[in-house]
Amino acid sequence: MAQEALVQMLTSVARDGAVRAGRGLSGLMGQQISIHVPNVRIGTKADACDAVGGEESLVLGAYLSISGDITGHVMLLFPVARALQCVDLMCGQSPGTTVEPDDLAQSAVGELSNIVGSAFVNALADDLNLILHPSPPTIIHDMAIALVQSVYAEVLSQGGDVVMMDAVFEDEKGRTAGILIVAPDPTSIERLMKVAA
Amino acid sequence: MTAPPSEARRVSVGIGQLAISRDPKEVLVAYGLGSCVGISCYDPQSRVSGLAHVLLPDSDGKRVEDREPARFADTGIDLLMKRLTEAGASPRRLIVKVAGGAAVLGPANAERFKIGERNAEAIRERLKHHGIAPAATDVGGAKGRTLEVHVGTGKTFVRTAASPANEL
Repeated sequence: MAQEALVQMLTSVARDGAVRAGRGLSGLMGQQISIHVPNVRIGTKADACDAVGGEESLVLGAYLSISGDITGHVMLLFPVARALQCVDLMCGQSPGTTVEPDDLAQSAVGELSNIVGSAFVNALADDLNLILHPSPPTIIHDMAIALVQSVYAEVLSQGGDVVMMDAVFEDEKGRTAGILIVAPDPTSIERLMKVAA
Repeated sequence: MTAPPSEARRVSVGIGQLAISRDPKEVLVAYGLGSCVGISCYDPQSRVSGLAHVLLPDSDGKRVEDREPARFADTGIDLLMKRLTEAGASPRRLIVKVAGGAAVLGPANAERFKIGERNAEAIRERLKHHGIAPAATDVGGAKGRTLEVHVGTGKTFVRTAASPANEL
């Protein structure tokens, strides 16, 4: 019962967070970005990476940790080609200028992730009346599942189960623009359950 | 590097899963090992192969769920050995190779997130408990890996996002 209330609360909060994050992404991508209703899952699921191209797809993005009243993990993952398009837009370059995740591209993706990830964390803080601080972003460029799995392991190693919120962003043509994944640490679940009750 | 036979069937071994095969047309694959560790086994006599995809170092007495039989290094390795033996392999003949255990969430977080390192260590210990020393390992570092074992030959390959498949 407590779990149901938690999922319900987090779904509502994640929706608000995703809308705010999507607004940030729309501004940076220069086009309308739509958001799927975020998933809130309890337990590990193999399909978390399907939106960005499945098991072995390469992604570019960033990892942020959350500290404050609760602790947890935030990841923004973009299909590499899409991230590079974004970099051109953000830097005012003609499309196709950036062809690899060089230093400038990584810095731009870090900034993008900072804005989108922080928008989500701030929504979480506002809606739940918590004080939360997102860390500076760390750039990640790897196989999507390796990144998601590492967050699973980190959370599960602390005991308890993994509660994961994920929101998929889509562009005007319905293509995946990115995925936002948020997972609180198990020690924070009790606090969240109290808020949900 | 030997390419798998064109008619090869790739069997994905997901997080916490393990697979045993005697079908020479199969390639067992653990995609995108981050802090997870893959353990590939091959018995050249019985031609049985196995692959486990371990997520965490220690079951700590927790019940192992059927859904993820190889979630933990200790209970996962024990089960891998049991299933291999049941399929006709002999633990003393096994060629065991281990890959994964990276810290993929960036150098700034590598000090904090040590699950990969702990996984690799726990697997080394559990294999030792079964009297097995890995024939080859590719563990640690900062990049995710995909590990595959070709059941027909026992050949094992590792690739990363940045590098093509190399035989382990």
